[in-house]
Amino acid sequence: MIRPIRRSLENVGKATLMARDIMRVLPRPRLYIHATFQQAYIIGIQSLPLVLFMAFLGGAVTSQQTGAQFTGGLPLWVIGSVLAASVITELGPILTAIVMMARVGASIAAELASMKVTEQIDALQAMGRDPVAFLVVPRVLAGLIVFPPLVILADAMGLAAGWGIGVLAVDGLTTSDVIYGMRFYFRPWALFFSVIKGATFGIAITFIACFIGLEGKGGAEGVGKTTTTAVVTTTLAIMILDLLLAPLLKAF
Amino acid sequence: MIEFRNLHKAFGDFQVLRGVDLVVQEGETLALLGPSGTGKSVLIKHAIGLLEPDQGDVIVDGTSIANASATELKAVRRKLGYVFQNAALFDSLTVAENLFLAQEDENSMKLITSCTAEAEALLRKVNLDASVLGKLPSELSGGMRKRVGVARAIASNPRYLLWDEPTTGLDPVNADNIDELILGLARELGVTSIVVTHDLDTAFDVADRIAILFEGKIIANQLPDDILENKDPFVQRFVRRMRVDS
Repeated sequence: MIRPIRRSLENVGKATLMARDIMRVLPRPRLYIHATFQQAYIIGIQSLPLVLFMAFLGGAVTSQQTGAQFTGGLPLWVIGSVLAASVITELGPILTAIVMMARVGASIAAELASMKVTEQIDALQAMGRDPVAFLVVPRVLAGLIVFPPLVILADAMGLAAGWGIGVLAVDGLTTSDVIYGMRFYFRPWALFFSVIKGATFGIAITFIACFIGLEGKGGAEGVGKTTTTAVVTTTLAIMILDLLLAPLLKAF
Repeated sequence: MIEFRNLHKAFGDFQVLRGVDLVVQEGETLALLGPSGTGKSVLIKHAIGLLEPDQGDVIVDGTSIANASATELKAVRRKLGYVFQNAALFDSLTVAENLFLAQEDENSMKLITSCTAEAEALLRKVNLDASVLGKLPSELSGGMRKRVGVARAIASNPRYLLWDEPTTGLDPVNADNIDELILGLARELGVTSIVVTHDLDTAFDVADRIAILFEGKIIANQLPDDILENKDPFVQRFVRRMRVDS
């Protein structure tokens, strides 16, 4: 009982030290700027098709299910409001995070764990290079940079899909209803909220994946375990952050 | 000078080092022998700050590694080169980029890698040609990766070199070549080396002194000729093959 608690506390301490090391590196952009753009391309551009597809599915399902529940009970334009509220404040950020946890978080953790067990991290340190500057900062910064635009694009795709599929699939729903409903709900703060969530999730996923990857041990089995741990931990962290950020929506 | 003082290290319940005292003098080549899993690599990793001792210290040129600040540790690491047992090359970087990885500034790293003459000279020292410069480590054989690892360790002209099994996995010709390189670096540049090895030929070819690590302690630390006469039963068993061969 005591050992897991001690290990958890140790991990919190180590993660805090890594966060401190990241802050120390930030004033020296020449150490990481080139790698950050490379990572932004890998994390962002290469993930875009999957993020858009997930957002398409999320928006399409939301409008149909809302239509099925509200038809006959409420005016159909409410579907537009529910769609906008769901996609912008929740589905866009969370679906983007799910794709990125699976695609980017797992990949970062596996890559760094593999580098750790093959002594590549030791080699970096032995040569006087800082693994945090070389490996962690570019990935975390890339996460911070690419998540907000990805979330905005996911929001746009989710709304477009919800509108298009809704009009096709829900009896009596028109484009005018959807647009009226969206306008009725929409507040600029909701979009900021969506972007804030995206940035927070971006930092959380990349930071946790880097931290767990650098703690990797053992051989191939160890890398596998590390990757699983990273996906499970980032999933929990994203859901908890989603809960913690929820009150922010009402704040403005 | 590298000085290991009463070094203790455990991993969980497994006590690896139990009070190692060892001094490596300037310009000297010390071969560190011992059975597999006895902590030879663990010992030299303390010298470069890759592991923290549970007790004791390593002093490199007067700097305590256990108490060094990040800046001090970085300065010490600049003086040291480390040849990893499995090369530890960066998978995602080419051979040229790996060779100059020690450069702090990534932009200057890109510029330096374009100085192929310097890279070619480094590769020649380990019996490789310039055709491998643009290749990724995955495109090289195990022996070639090992030699690139050696070239990378000597790229920054270190004063101290820590060799972790430098000839394991190499063919006899390339193993001899690495032995020559160790000797040449010591003779021409005064480089101080600690060579962790199971290869008794390498140990007796390159070493000024041989130390044997057994059960977490140094049980012999002598000139190569003297160690052959050591009466300790374990030392005798360890060097017996060498005596038979010679």
